[in-house]
Amino acid sequence: MRIAKDYLVIFGALALLLCNGVESGAQVRVSIGVTETIETHNPYGDSASLLYGIFSEVTGPFCTYSYAKGDFEGRLAERWKVENPTTWIFYLSKNYKFNDGTTVTADDVVHSLMNRVINDPQSKQKASVAPSIVKAEAVDKFTVKITTDKPTAPLLSFLCDRLIVTSKAAFDKYGRDVADREHMMGGGPYQLKELIPGQRLVLQKRPDHPDAKKNPRAPDEVVYRIMREPEQRVTALLNDEIQIAQFVPPHMRQRIENNPKLRIAPIDSVEIMFLAMQPKPPFDKKEVRQAVCQAINRDQIISTLLEGFASRLDGPLGPGQYGYDPNLKPKLNYDPEKAKKLLAQAGYPNGVDVELQTPVGRYTLDKQLSEAMIPMMNAAGFRAKLLTPEWATLWANVQKGTIPFYYIGRGSVQDPSAALHQYFHSGETPRIGYSNPKLDELLDKEQQEFDAKKRRQYLSQAMSILTEDAPACFMWRHKLLWGLNSRVEYKPLPDARIYAIEMAVKK
Amino acid sequence: MATYLLHRLAGTIPVLLLISLLVFLLIHAAPGDPTLLLLGEETNAAEVAKAKERWGLDQPLYIQYAKFIRSAAVGDFGKSFKYAEPVIGVIKTRLPATIELAVFAIIIATLLAIPLGVWAGSKPNSWIDNLGTTFGLFGISMPSFWLAIMLILLLAGVLNLLPTSGRSTYGIAGPEQSGFYILDSVMQKNWSAVWDALTHIFLPALALGVNMLGILMRVTRSSILEVMNEDYIQTARAKGLREKNVVWRHVTSNALIPVITVVGLELGTLLSGSIIVETVFAWPGSGSLLITALNARDYPLVTGIVMTYTLAFVAINLIIDGLYAVVDPRIRY
Repeated sequence: MRIAKDYLVIFGALALLLCNGVESGAQVRVSIGVTETIETHNPYGDSASLLYGIFSEVTGPFCTYSYAKGDFEGRLAERWKVENPTTWIFYLSKNYKFNDGTTVTADDVVHSLMNRVINDPQSKQKASVAPSIVKAEAVDKFTVKITTDKPTAPLLSFLCDRLIVTSKAAFDKYGRDVADREHMMGGGPYQLKELIPGQRLVLQKRPDHPDAKKNPRAPDEVVYRIMREPEQRVTALLNDEIQIAQFVPPHMRQRIENNPKLRIAPIDSVEIMFLAMQPKPPFDKKEVRQAVCQAINRDQIISTLLEGFASRLDGPLGPGQYGYDPNLKPKLNYDPEKAKKLLAQAGYPNGVDVELQTPVGRYTLDKQLSEAMIPMMNAAGFRAKLLTPEWATLWANVQKGTIPFYYIGRGSVQDPSAALHQYFHSGETPRIGYSNPKLDELLDKEQQEFDAKKRRQYLSQAMSILTEDAPACFMWRHKLLWGLNSRVEYKPLPDARIYAIEMAVKK
Repeated sequence: MATYLLHRLAGTIPVLLLISLLVFLLIHAAPGDPTLLLLGEETNAAEVAKAKERWGLDQPLYIQYAKFIRSAAVGDFGKSFKYAEPVIGVIKTRLPATIELAVFAIIIATLLAIPLGVWAGSKPNSWIDNLGTTFGLFGISMPSFWLAIMLILLLAGVLNLLPTSGRSTYGIAGPEQSGFYILDSVMQKNWSAVWDALTHIFLPALALGVNMLGILMRVTRSSILEVMNEDYIQTARAKGLREKNVVWRHVTSNALIPVITVVGLELGTLLSGSIIVETVFAWPGSGSLLITALNARDYPLVTGIVMTYTLAFVAINLIIDGLYAVVDPRIRY
C-alpha cells in the first residue's frame, strides 16, 4: 500500500501541474489550424494552394483574383496590357518595398520568373505558374515584358496569387538556400518570422506596409499550425488554441455552432468535383455516360450526406467562376428511368458492370459520397462496384490514363481554361483520353481570344458540348466550412488561400 | 566482449543490405510516380521527363540501387525529391523530436508498468493484480490512433488541460540548439519553455507508450511471479527480511532481465508507432516525415528513414545485449 500512496502523490502532483494550462502570448496573434503541410523554406519548392497563398502574402501578391468582381485585380503588378497575342506588359507599383527597405523592381520579377520558377531545377512551379512563358525581361525599373510561346489569354490565372516575387539582390548576395532560409525578402504586408517544417509557420505584420496601414486591425502575427485531423482542429478551436480552423467536416459543425464564441463560415469552393469516364467500353457510348449522370441524385446526396454544404453543378462551373453560364444547356438532371432507357439504347438492356474508383479522405466525405452513388447507379441498371485505392496510387493511375471511371476534384478553377484543357482537350493529358475536334477548336480559340466577351462565348459553347457529350458528370462544389472565433472577422476565399491582411481582430 | 561486439557488428552488414534492397524494391514497386505527385496538377510530359532525368529515375532499377548503395556506404542517402536537400540533413532535423518523444514514452511506460507489474505479481489474484492485468490488456489491445484521438478529445477537449498538437507554443522556446526542446530549454534555464514542452509531449508520449506499458506490465508481473517461487526468495524470507525488501531488493532485481529484453524490442515498436502518433499530433519528427515522404513517393527519403530506423534498431539490440552483462553477472561474452 505504501507504494500505491507514493504513486498517488506523484500523479496528484503531476495532475496539479497539468491543470495550470498553457500560456498564451500578449500579441494580437491569430493561429490557424491548416491541413496541408508546410515543409520547405524554398518558396518555389512546392506547388500547393496554401503555400501559394502564404508566400503571396509575404511577397505581394503579384496580382489577385477578386471573387466579388469575377475578375483579376492588380497588386504588385498594378496593371497590364496585352501588346500582342504572345506579349504582355506588366506595370509594377512603385510602393512595394522588401523588408530591408529596398524597392521591388522589374529585375526582381524577371529574376523570380526566370531564375527561380522556370530555370531552377528545384522549382516545382513551372507548370503551374509559367507553363507557356518563354521569356521575361525588364523594360524599365517598373515595367516587365513577358513573352509566351503561344497566345495565352488565361495567363493571369497562372500568375495571379501564384507568382512569388523574391529579392534578386538577396539571392545574388547569399545564394539560393541561405537567402530562402535566413533572408526571405518579400514586398508583401507580412514577413516570414519562423518556419518549423512539419509543425508551424509564423508571419509577422509589417506595420509600415501600405496594405497594413489600410487595415490596422489585421493581426500582428499569424501562426499557421499543421493539424491534419479534423477532430484536432475543432478541439483546438473550441479551446481557443487556434482562432481559425480550416475545413471543418459538415458533421462536426454543430460542436462549433453550439459555442457562442465561435461561428461557422461556409464558402463555395472553386474546386469542381466530377465523375470522369474514359471513352472505353462501356463508356465509349455517349448514352452510357449520360446514363451515369442521370442515375445519380445529386440533390439528395447534397441534402443528406453533405447536409446542404455543397452546390450542385450543371456544367463544369458554378457562380463566381470565370466563364460561368447560368443558361448552359443541356442539363442532365436526375432521371433514373431515362438512365435505364439510355443504357438500353446503348446496347445494355440487362445492365452493365462498371467499377468506380474513389480516393479516401482526399476530399470531403469522398468515400461516403461515392458509396451513396453505387446503389443509385445500380437502381438505373448498372452493376457498379466501388474501389478505394490509396491516393498516391489512384492519382498516378489517373495521370497515366489507366482508370476508366473515377471520382475526383479539380481545384483552383477560377478560370477554367487550364482545367478544361487538362482533362478534355485531345492529347493534352491521358487522364480521360476524350477527344472531340469541335471541343478542341473551341478550347484553342478561347485560349487565344483576348476579347473577354468572345472568350466567354467560346467557353460557354465548349462547356455545352461537355455536358451534352458527358465525358464527365459534373457533381458539385463543396461549401468549405471554416470555424472562426468571433474575435476574428474574416471572409474565407473559395480557393482556400488565406490572406491575413484581410482579417480584422478584436483585441 | 570486444570480439563479440565485432562479430555482432559484422553480422549487421547483411541485415542492412537486405533491408535496403527490400525497401528499395518495395518503394519502387509501389504504384505512384514521384514526378507526377510533386510537380503539381498542371505539370506536363516535358517537365516530368526533366524531373525523371534529374532524379535519376530514367535509369534502370539495378543502376539506381547500385548508386544508392555506393553512396549509402559513405553515409550519403542521396537528395530528397521533395525537399531538394540531402536526406541525412532532412532526417537530422526531424530525428531529435522522435527521440524525445520515444524517451518520454519509455519513461511513462516504465514508471507505470514496473511498479504496477511488481505490485500485481507480488500479490497474485488480489484486486490489484486483477486491476493491473485488466489495465495491461487494455494497453496492449488499444490502437494508438484511436487512443490518440480519445486523449485529444478528453484531456485537450473536455478537460482543456493540454494542447491538442505540436511540439511547443510559438514564442515561448528560446533558440534551438540540440533539437531536443526540453533539454535545450533546461540548458537555457527557460522554465516556462520546459513546462510548455512537457505539456505538449505528454499526450503523444502517453498515446505512444500505453501499448508498451501494457506489455511491460504483463512481462514484469509474470517474471515476478516466477522469481517469487525461487528457493533463494524463501531463504530471504526465512532470514526474517521484511516483505518490502524481499520484493524490491531480491525479487525485482532478478526479475528485470526479461523486462530489459522487452524494453529493447519495444523500442523498435515505438519507432514504428511514432509514425501514426506523430501524424495525429502534428509532431514534427521522423515518423510524420516518413508519411510525407511516402505520400510524395520520395524514394531517397523513404529509404533513408527506414535505414535510419534499422540502424537504430540494430544499435538498440546491441546495447540491450551489453546490458545483460551488467544486470546479470552470470552472463559473460
